[in-house]
Amino acid sequence: MGLLAGKRIFSIVALCMMVGLLLLPVVVALPSLAIGEETRSGDAAKKEGDKVEKGRDVYYKTEGIVSGAPAPKTTDGVKDYPRYNFESRVLLWFANQQHLYYGSFVLAVPIFCMIIEFMGVVTKDKALAKRYDQLAYDFIKISLTAYSLTAILGGILIFTFLTLYPAFFSYLSGIFRPVMHIYALMFVAESGTLYIYYYGWDKMREGFLKWIHLSMSVILNVIGTLLMFLANSWIGFMMSPAGVDEQGRYLGNIWHVIHTALWNPLNLHRILGNMAFGGGVVAAYAAYKFLASKTDEDRAHYDWMGYIAMALGVAFLIPLPFAGYWLMREVYAYRQQMGITLMGGLLAWLFIIQATMIGILFLSTNYYLWQAMGRMRGAEKYQRYIKYLVFLLACGYMVFITPHTMVMTPAELKAMGGQQHPVLGNYGVMSAKNGGINVIITTTVLSFVWYMRGNKVSTVSWAKFGNIFMGVFFGCAYFNIIFLAVYGYYIPANVRVGLSVPQVATTLSCLFFMFALNSFMMKGAKQMGPIEWGKISARSQYALIMLATAFTWMMGLMGYIRSSVRLFWHVNEIMRDNSPWAYTHTVGFAANMISANVLFFWITILFVFWLGSLTAKKVPVESKAGIPGSVPQPAPSH
Amino acid sequence: MKALMSLGALIGVAGLLLLGGMFFDIVPSSTVRLVEGYMPIQLLLEVACYVIGFTGLSYMMNAMGMAIPRFWQGIGFWIFLMVYLKYRVYPPIPFSVRAMYGTVGLVTVFMWISANEEDWTKFKQPIMNVLDAQTGGKRILRYAYLVLLPILIGGFSFNAMLPKSEEPIELRTVHPAPPASTKVHGKTYTLQTSQNPYRVNPEGKYDQEFSNANIVEQGMGRLMKPNSNPWDEKNQGYLKYVREGGEIFFQNCHFCHGDNLNGRGLHAFAFNPIPANFTDPGTIAQLQETFIFWRVSKGGIGLPNEGFPWASVMPPWEQHLTVDEIWKVVLFEYWHTGYYPRTWD
Repeated sequence: MGLLAGKRIFSIVALCMMVGLLLLPVVVALPSLAIGEETRSGDAAKKEGDKVEKGRDVYYKTEGIVSGAPAPKTTDGVKDYPRYNFESRVLLWFANQQHLYYGSFVLAVPIFCMIIEFMGVVTKDKALAKRYDQLAYDFIKISLTAYSLTAILGGILIFTFLTLYPAFFSYLSGIFRPVMHIYALMFVAESGTLYIYYYGWDKMREGFLKWIHLSMSVILNVIGTLLMFLANSWIGFMMSPAGVDEQGRYLGNIWHVIHTALWNPLNLHRILGNMAFGGGVVAAYAAYKFLASKTDEDRAHYDWMGYIAMALGVAFLIPLPFAGYWLMREVYAYRQQMGITLMGGLLAWLFIIQATMIGILFLSTNYYLWQAMGRMRGAEKYQRYIKYLVFLLACGYMVFITPHTMVMTPAELKAMGGQQHPVLGNYGVMSAKNGGINVIITTTVLSFVWYMRGNKVSTVSWAKFGNIFMGVFFGCAYFNIIFLAVYGYYIPANVRVGLSVPQVATTLSCLFFMFALNSFMMKGAKQMGPIEWGKISARSQYALIMLATAFTWMMGLMGYIRSSVRLFWHVNEIMRDNSPWAYTHTVGFAANMISANVLFFWITILFVFWLGSLTAKKVPVESKAGIPGSVPQPAPSH
Repeated sequence: MKALMSLGALIGVAGLLLLGGMFFDIVPSSTVRLVEGYMPIQLLLEVACYVIGFTGLSYMMNAMGMAIPRFWQGIGFWIFLMVYLKYRVYPPIPFSVRAMYGTVGLVTVFMWISANEEDWTKFKQPIMNVLDAQTGGKRILRYAYLVLLPILIGGFSFNAMLPKSEEPIELRTVHPAPPASTKVHGKTYTLQTSQNPYRVNPEGKYDQEFSNANIVEQGMGRLMKPNSNPWDEKNQGYLKYVREGGEIFFQNCHFCHGDNLNGRGLHAFAFNPIPANFTDPGTIAQLQETFIFWRVSKGGIGLPNEGFPWASVMPPWEQHLTVDEIWKVVLFEYWHTGYYPRTWD
């Protein structure tokens, strides 16, 4: 009893420490925000009397007291752009990308842990609860080593900025000074919280303590998310500056600097993207372990782990295109010029590559699900319809990747009789592409529904009606999506943009209503046989690896696109890039560079996985019938 | 079910015969036309019909004890797709796009034939048979592959590396990114916020809804709406400005952009690419009116340099037309094509 009370006190103290850590940056930052900046500018104002200079915010159009130096006008030379005998931009690109990969991974994994740990806590099946708990622990263990690497890469990134782009970094840090300090403190808070969360796992395994432990994961994720939001504010400022005047002088309102036009869509897009990426990486880890497994037991565990990671990743992948759509819409609204450069102009071909990668993600997911139906008895009834899903996916995919700007020889151009192909040119614009991606996502939802009912036969009295209803619902959904895609050509562009809402609503209706209906129908369903975990084709695991690689490649690509859209600006329309590298790379060079980044990340993450496997010790546990395959258990103490 | 499959089989056979007939010029290639305005969806529906047809055909052949092996089904469908894209769609699809579609086709055929173990085993069987080479015939085939495949790959590589005198491919950007603002005849126009001063309602106020209600119908007919004839002398305001824009267009622009605004004017084919086709939904329908104003004013020479090569010979019309005339021409182009300029509200 005494021991339990001691543990409880320890847990509560640990939780309070975490909350304290969470609040620490805010408390420390408050004086500088509330007093420091204002007083400084206020004092300056008093001293200067009437000579106070005011500036107009380039975005918010409000007036503020000039509180910072103008953006430096750099010149090509060692003063502003010191360099090695190499393109500095490429070095920075590499450092930045690696930091972002690891950063995304370590921010995503704790969110998974939180979800899986929660599932373990609420599930009534004790064996399953243990499996979930073990899985969550496995996840956090992987992320711990990655966390140190993230910090190291962050350090390398700052040094790269300081040594190669001193003028730009000095300007940026001058504006974001308080934010950067808060960021550093947040990082301390994140580290502290993570270590308490990880090392306290065993001590807080049961009952009330487990809930405390779960709460810690919530705090950990709150800190992590805020950390990311702050980092996003820097790139948001570089793309769509606010809180400064035309010369780039800070106007004293740090919230304006943070809350730029693109900050919110960037935040949402990055949260979802990180989650999908994290799911992909963990799924690839499980796939790798599955393929290397020597026993059925291990195969069963890693098959299950891969499935859970994939399902969580895809759950965040599905809304990701919609978040991306919102981001692009905001980009267009901020600067038409930027939007056209991205999607219709200079960078349009990169968007076609991006569409190709998105398609690969969904195709891999569907393929994995079809393979996964192979481990269920009773799922054969759906197999013969898969070809129709393949057809829908192929059509949606082909439309989605059709370029508006086609690559062709002058002879082909002449034969085509104009820049726009009369048939395929129509697939190259947004209306058709929205239809294409929504068809792909809806088909993925349908594959999931089939997977969920693979080995089950509904026993509810209204099963027949339910099946017909679901069939009609999906049929109508496809019709509506395609109809709106065609109708989009006959209405004004601003109305057409709005059509994406009913299209997305249709897809999401399929997702939520059909999942819910399916769950009701499958309640107490007759099982044709258990899910035979581990009895899945090797091809499915390669699909998971493909999924993760595509995520990684796409992240690299999108980061490059987002950064490149500034063209020759460090800070859009405020601070010009006058280095010799202020040009846009060719598509080929960018693709090679992204591939190199992806390769490096995967080599290093394999090292991380290997490190993680060094501490793995397995203790078999009993598993309940219906959930075959036992789980490697954590060591008695960590 | 059987009746449905038989119908599918019938469609499949008819479709294949038709395609083969058109391919070998036995049937006129215009037998089943891709109808302008409906081409994109028609293409997808056609392919869907073929898929239904092939499914029915496969079912019937199976029922008659003459099942087509999964191996040949997969390869056959992919070849069909490539032939269809190459010979059915006119004007020809550039190779780069066909290569993309072909790759997607290959991947999806693989997904189909390996979606479950049974199908995958069936598909692999002929390959495994040749590799195992249990019979004399198979053994010969295996040796033939051993010799032919390297020769084939070597041939492709040789061909790919061979110096060619063809013109290089171009990654031309269709829509150049516009500047934030443009200066025409001494006045600066912010592209994001500027408006066409002639897009006005009878009260003289900027009104896009009013002008949208008076444009021609989209599609092939391009019929004028009742009481919306700009050439009716009684019409004032917006329709009068459209008429004036039309006059300017036919005096200056139609030689290249064509009297139907489809980029096929008298001089069009002297250029490669031919001038922009405004009736295509991928051109002015996608853009803000101010974008067109900027493009017309500055011409090909005024395009930004970040997306070379532009391959545009359009003169900078600000040297020949007044600002008002340019706005009126833009007004006419939207009126005539039946498109609405892009807005951000």
